[in-house]
Amino acid sequence: MNLRLSPVRFKSNSTAAALAVAAAVMLVPANLLPVLSTETSGYNRSDTIFSGTVELWRQGLWAIAAIVFTASICIPAVKLAGLGWLLLSVRNGGPRDSRRLTRTFAVLDFVGRWSMLDVFLAAFLTGLVQFGEISSVQARSGIVAFAAAVVLTVLATHAFDPRVLWPKPAKVSPNPCQP
Amino acid sequence: MGKDANLTCRLCGHEHRPVRLAPGERALCARCGTVMATEGRFGPDAALAFSITGLILALPAALLPFVIAGKLGDERVCRLFTGVGALWRNGMRALAVVVFVCGALLPVALLGAMALLQFPTRLKWRAPNIPFLPRAVHILEHWAFPEVQVLAVLVALMKLGDLVDITIGPGFWCYCAMAACLVLAQRSFDLELGDAAPVPSRTAAAP
Repeated sequence: MNLRLSPVRFKSNSTAAALAVAAAVMLVPANLLPVLSTETSGYNRSDTIFSGTVELWRQGLWAIAAIVFTASICIPAVKLAGLGWLLLSVRNGGPRDSRRLTRTFAVLDFVGRWSMLDVFLAAFLTGLVQFGEISSVQARSGIVAFAAAVVLTVLATHAFDPRVLWPKPAKVSPNPCQP
Repeated sequence: MGKDANLTCRLCGHEHRPVRLAPGERALCARCGTVMATEGRFGPDAALAFSITGLILALPAALLPFVIAGKLGDERVCRLFTGVGALWRNGMRALAVVVFVCGALLPVALLGAMALLQFPTRLKWRAPNIPFLPRAVHILEHWAFPEVQVLAVLVALMKLGDLVDITIGPGFWCYCAMAACLVLAQRSFDLELGDAAPVPSRTAAAP
């Protein structure tokens, strides 16, 4: 999408840092508390994000387990680590590979949304599987913490202005590259 | 903003002069390499067409059955908002709101905003004076996740396996099509057209 932006307006990196720290804090209960409980014919089972992924793996659903593991565990961790790296790079000042850091930010911005997978998954299963004692699925408190963590990481990315990675706004360039 | 104004890279803030792009061509920021503009392969009306198609598909996606689940003769019809309702009744209201907003409300709002920006320009009407709309589109695209919901439903169906008998309903296919229209509309959309006069060959971002 093409967008004309107003002249460079530096956002608050301290806001981004605060939101990233809050997201990291929320990830602790998100990974320790159960996100889903399943009842099938009197047998009750509660799963955290990790144990749910392991269970999928044990059932032979390796591709699904890999998707859930990537979206729910890898992406939030990578996103927070990447944001931390960007924020530290800005804070430390000095020479840096601005182009590489900008690319990193673009990747973090793109992948962040896929963490919502587990949230939509829990909502869908909670609505669909409601057959009383025969079979039912309930969302548990861990998924609320996880959704909060995802929302906070998206807000943190949004608060970070990648333009601070560059020394100063450059003059108008003659032409863009056209591959 | 006139079509001769400079364009600023959204990531590094580098300003560029406008250039003309051929269909399928992209303009990259000269400093950071970010894709600043893409001349769509589907023509200048594509964004409007995809936006309107997506809006039309949103209605059956919301009303028709998403998935029908059966267990020992009992049958349960799940629609787009069934999960939201279940979370709301379970007391997880904030979570229900997040799922509703990111999975249904904002995708439709984004399609509507893009259609609203393109419609007057394409029909040679006077463009509406809504200064916040272009920025609203930029913000909305960070929070509209229909493609993630599509993947989540597919993962859920695989995960359920033999637990229940599953029949996919027309609402899910309409939702998938709406999500595809949203992605295609975003790829074809050019905010530059929001307040510019119709141009035969679009001027693309950057310098």
